[in-house]
Amino acid sequence: MPAAVPLARRAFLARIGVLGAALGGGGLLTRSLLNPADAATNPLLPPAVDLVRPVLAALARDTLNGLTAFALPGPDQYSRTQRASSRTPGAMEAGATDFMINALEHFVPFPDALAQPISAALVTGLADTGISLPGLEVLPAELRTLDQAFAALLQSDETLPLSFPIAGLLNLMATQVNPAAVNGPHLSPFARLTYAEKAKAFELIEKTDSDLVALLDVQFPEPLKASVSGLLKFVGGALIEFATFGAYGEFAVFDPKTKQLRKRPVGWTLTGYQPDGPVEGWDDFIGYYQGRTEVHD
Amino acid sequence: MRDVIVIGAGGGGPVVAKELAAKGLDVLLLEAGPRHAKPREEWTTFEDDANNPLTGYFRLGPTDRSKPAWYREWPQNSFVWQLSGVGGTTQHFYGNYPRAYPGVFKGYDGADRNEYDVNHRFPFTYSEMVPYFEWVEAIMPVQTAAMGHKEQLFFRGAETMNLPVQTTKTTRGPSYRPQENAILQPGGTAGKTSDKNLLNYPQATGCTFCGYCFQGCMRPNGAPRNQFAKRSTDNSYVPMAVTAEVWARGGKPVELIADAYVTRVHTESRHGVLTASGVTWRDNVSGDEHREDARVVVMSGGCTENPRLWFNSGLPNPNGWVGRGYTDHFFDWMIGSFDDYTGNPKGVGSSARLDYPPYGGLENVGLPPALNAFAGTLSDSGIRGQYRNGRGQTGPWDGPAGRLMGPELKELLAGGIDKLLTVLVITDDDVEAQNRVTTSALPADENGPIPKVTFQQRKRTKRTLNNREFMARKAAELLRGAGAKKVYRIDWAPLILHVQSSMRMGESEHNSVLDPRGETRAVKRLFIADNSALSNGLGGPNPTLTSQALATRTAEKIFQTYFDGDPWVRKETPVVSTDPRISVRLGQLGL
Ligand SMILES: Cc1cc2nc3c(=O)[nH]c(=O)nc-3n(C[C@H](O)[C@H](O)[C@H](O)COP(=O)(O)OP(=O)(O)OC[C@H]3O[C@@H](n4cnc5c(N)ncnc54)[C@H](O)[C@@H]3O)c2cc1C
Ligand code: SF4
Repeated sequence: MPAAVPLARRAFLARIGVLGAALGGGGLLTRSLLNPADAATNPLLPPAVDLVRPVLAALARDTLNGLTAFALPGPDQYSRTQRASSRTPGAMEAGATDFMINALEHFVPFPDALAQPISAALVTGLADTGISLPGLEVLPAELRTLDQAFAALLQSDETLPLSFPIAGLLNLMATQVNPAAVNGPHLSPFARLTYAEKAKAFELIEKTDSDLVALLDVQFPEPLKASVSGLLKFVGGALIEFATFGAYGEFAVFDPKTKQLRKRPVGWTLTGYQPDGPVEGWDDFIGYYQGRTEVHD
Repeated sequence: MRDVIVIGAGGGGPVVAKELAAKGLDVLLLEAGPRHAKPREEWTTFEDDANNPLTGYFRLGPTDRSKPAWYREWPQNSFVWQLSGVGGTTQHFYGNYPRAYPGVFKGYDGADRNEYDVNHRFPFTYSEMVPYFEWVEAIMPVQTAAMGHKEQLFFRGAETMNLPVQTTKTTRGPSYRPQENAILQPGGTAGKTSDKNLLNYPQATGCTFCGYCFQGCMRPNGAPRNQFAKRSTDNSYVPMAVTAEVWARGGKPVELIADAYVTRVHTESRHGVLTASGVTWRDNVSGDEHREDARVVVMSGGCTENPRLWFNSGLPNPNGWVGRGYTDHFFDWMIGSFDDYTGNPKGVGSSARLDYPPYGGLENVGLPPALNAFAGTLSDSGIRGQYRNGRGQTGPWDGPAGRLMGPELKELLAGGIDKLLTVLVITDDDVEAQNRVTTSALPADENGPIPKVTFQQRKRTKRTLNNREFMARKAAELLRGAGAKKVYRIDWAPLILHVQSSMRMGESEHNSVLDPRGETRAVKRLFIADNSALSNGLGGPNPTLTSQALATRTAEKIFQTYFDGDPWVRKETPVVSTDPRISVRLGQLGL
């Protein structure tokens, strides 16, 4: 594994502004968390941010495609890029990326007070990786790199969808593992990694004394500082476990209104789970071990 | 002014509420989460819909599923599986009801007496506990588990290990057996057919082997709530509590309020003694705050929430043990793959076990696909074949321990979910001050500062770490004996769902929060009755039976101490929770 590149700790105006807003007493808690709808549109935002938002959303989706293909490979392009693909349906067919985005944007009850500074810290890290967003000439020149786009969003005081910092984290790790991943197919460096490289990225996230933790910790004032390294260890595990849970579950084919399935879930077909769908019971009762139906002292 | 306010309608709270309601006390039961009064309308059998910890109907959060769950800080790779709602975490449990090992109680003098967590025993004897075990076992009722294919296979493995079969309720030494489960044995067509037209109550009674314990038991279809197979408290103690007037002479039904989050326990000084006087709760829907006073307050919010409520109420913590000594059985997970059918996702989640005092135990656990995949990826040992995260133990399993991930997991599961046998490795783990609940520095939620659950899994006591390795080896031996082609060890990161002892009862005032009667040492008229009150991790047995037996004992102590009553467990005959009088009354109440 290549040694982690030491990252410059550039001070970003954005970061300072965001930290101030996040920690300035009172309004710490989770505007988007309590009321996700509020975050959708904000007429006061500068137009540059309106341009940046879909770009970052596309980047997040692409990164998460890289993650879910890692969890359950299939016949798709992302699985082929990671050089671990499979002929039978995988995470893309199971809608696992939508599952992740839905969870991250609407339901992960994660406070802005942390998401914002983590994102700001990631911007610092990303600034030195040279990741640029391909094909995005529409953006003003000063926004054409990932860190700058991110910084613009952070400056705007808009609530950040959690998929953005998560994607930022995975991409930052991707460029640590393989600096060449800044260019190539797909939008995101993480999606450009091989399966083994993706595993290495997670190794860095999970490692107790990783440089990443050191890098991020420095951005946080007490008392949040002490929480960050633990949180990253949690996030590293949770991304893998959650992506896998989503890939094998029924999310994509479940109709919440009727509480029925529109189709058989990929995970069921793959594993042979209840071939005829949900049951009221099974004829699997054999008897009682050694014929004993009750015990006493 | 109420007689008693009970905080939390999970595994423990409804026990105290039901017992005291039967004695005619005026009991208010407050539950932070949803009521789930109509499971056939609210539940499905699907894993994401049910078990997604963020959005599922079984999660820690308010009734309104468009609102986020309540977040908790876990500063390590781990997962704390708590549920809110009437029934609490028992809503998705498996009803495994073994008794605690005798070796964890005061006065135990078996040959292995020095090999348990000797500094944290229960402050009374096993024989004092037995009548309370019997009381709960009769109420549930607890019965010997019916056997399906996965159990048959588990027993085939156990039979190769030179251990006796346990045929008593009490575990006297290493042995294996069918579970004693709080699950009604199958009757009529149940377990004998997969035809749903034949599986309606009363043609089918008890467990239909549907395999959806984790998604909630609402079977057999058409049965009254108190006759559903699995005896989670929403199907057993809560129905009894709200109908106490029909089955107990002089009984008074409990008032149950859901979506009621208790944010503060109030105290006052009476003759210089700090005394509990009532609670404040917040209505999740309206946000309104309510306050009520009571003669006695009982905390039953569970191992993670009780310490939080204690801290947020500003209650004293003179010896520093509030929230400490949290035990979790430091689980591990072993997967065996077989050539032949195992029936893994069918029937009750677990109906077979192997006990190995003073090391811990094993049980089979069948899971549907997404939970199975989740269980295969929750590891502290990196990804098999890629990295080991500083661990990756080797042993009588195949390759290093670690996550089954990506292509490897896919290949395994594509071989058929019913070609797997999965075994939970349960560790007899020590009470340690470092494993604890504190309040988090992260922002508060609408109910106040949130809890932070810290487990130092790699720095546990030598005994705990050795016990886990010992039991993992036994699990591999069992799976090989059963004929597994391949055996995988995951080396789980802490999956905290057998939760115990974070507000422990103890003999010594230096390392316990509760006195031997279940009352808090620091605040009079304040009791704790749920898993957090347990003195230790019980040696490994699943905790709910022991927790409910202890809660029954605590209810007696409350009645004796503050209501001039007499204890009843040794004198009376318990009413079983399936009693038809309860069913009839539930029908009248529309429940
Ligand atoms: C998947 C799984 C399987 C399991 N299987 C078994 C098994 O087979 N056998 C077994 O013995 N155990 C099993 N367990 C463990 C079992 O669920 C627990 O032992 C039991 O639920 C603990 O009861 P409790 O009362 O301590 O906590 P809980 O059941 O968690 O109940 C606490 C309740 O209090 C409420 N609450 C918390 N704070 C507040 C507040 N401030 N105000 C109002 N309400 C509040 C919560 O919403 C919750 O409903 C299992 C657990 C899991 C996760
Ligand atoms: S397997 Fe039995 S106990 Fe479990 S949910 Fe089905 S009917 Fe209920």
